[in-house]
Amino acid sequence: MSKGSKERAAKARQIVAEQKARERRRTVTLWTSVAVVVVLFIAGLIGYRTLGGQDDRTVTTPASAVDEGTAFAVGSGPVTVDIYEDFMCPACGNFESTTGPTLKQLADSGKITLRFHPVAILDRFSNGTRYSTRAAAAAAAAAEAGKFTEFHEVLFANRPEENTDGLTDAKILELASGIGLTSKTFTTAVNEGTYRTWVEKATETFAARGYTGTPTIVVNGERLTGPDDTVPDTALLTETIEKAAG
Amino acid sequence: METSRQSRTAVAWPWIGTAARLGLAAVWLVAGALKVGDPAASARAVNAYQLMPYDTAEVVGAVQPFLEIALGLLLLIGLSTRLTAAISALLMAVFIAGIASAWARGLRIDCGCFSSGGELAEGVGTAYGVDILRDLAFLALSGLLVWRPRTRLSLDGMLMGKL
Repeated sequence: MSKGSKERAAKARQIVAEQKARERRRTVTLWTSVAVVVVLFIAGLIGYRTLGGQDDRTVTTPASAVDEGTAFAVGSGPVTVDIYEDFMCPACGNFESTTGPTLKQLADSGKITLRFHPVAILDRFSNGTRYSTRAAAAAAAAAEAGKFTEFHEVLFANRPEENTDGLTDAKILELASGIGLTSKTFTTAVNEGTYRTWVEKATETFAARGYTGTPTIVVNGERLTGPDDTVPDTALLTETIEKAAG
Repeated sequence: METSRQSRTAVAWPWIGTAARLGLAAVWLVAGALKVGDPAASARAVNAYQLMPYDTAEVVGAVQPFLEIALGLLLLIGLSTRLTAAISALLMAVFIAGIASAWARGLRIDCGCFSSGGELAEGVGTAYGVDILRDLAFLALSGLLVWRPRTRLSLDGMLMGKL
């Protein structure tokens, strides 16, 4: 073979090799892309299936709960005032200490039906003890024992700060016994967390209704906020209630 | 001189890309892991943006952490880096748009980027600017990998042969 044809042959082999390498890269790209899409699809499916699992849990709804089993009512006046609260939420604590007494008075005097909706959206602020859920579940147990109002009051009077462990179940029981809540049913419900799944469900209902924060105050079905999306003050709330009463 | 500098960059690029890929993998893995345990809270975090009905937010909240973890794992092993980086970039763009829209509408929420987010704790300010800048940095990492997907220590590299 001449020198020229040798070079041509070498060049041809090189071109073929390059083509093969390109081909291989294309095949690899195609199949790895397919693999990625399949993996992501399966991951998404696993996530989606966790949704179904939530509906399978057994929920013990307290018999005394009203409004699709999400609230505990005080009074029976013509205007409905719904309060969604988390027992760890500082703004709820403020609201309870400033506006709470007025609302209670309006409920006692038959002007409003006050409906408390305990929800748990701040579980991540209690160092893993899920205080919000435990407190709301205990409140449901207190409602079943006919002492919701008193228990609600004492929990807010002892509201733990965010990013602490919250009150222990033992402390919750101790506070409860201070208001005469000592029944075995109540104690068992707190210790066993009987109403915790109910709290999860009530919190989902809260979110499904389009509410995102606590306290959320709703007067006759309409959400009430102060200026700049703040919590309404006592004056604004009483004014709104009076208007709603006509 | 010129050629030696060029070859030096040619050597450096795959390593820069490797760092970007592993960094981005860590971001996804951490973001997903912090949310995956509590789908209800994750749903509320999505819902807090008030961009979709709760039913949809519930699905997004349940699916998203798993997608983030899967994306993190795929980037970690370096499988189809260009595609996974492109999906990362797309997701980052969506997140940035979401945060910007929450900011523009004056919502007071935690972005839920590395937690189950939702409404802010009392007295905590919003951090939209920082969140967006951080996501822009992640977007840049993703962009880099879309542009130069060949990295060291990757499954792509093993399958395709030498760079």
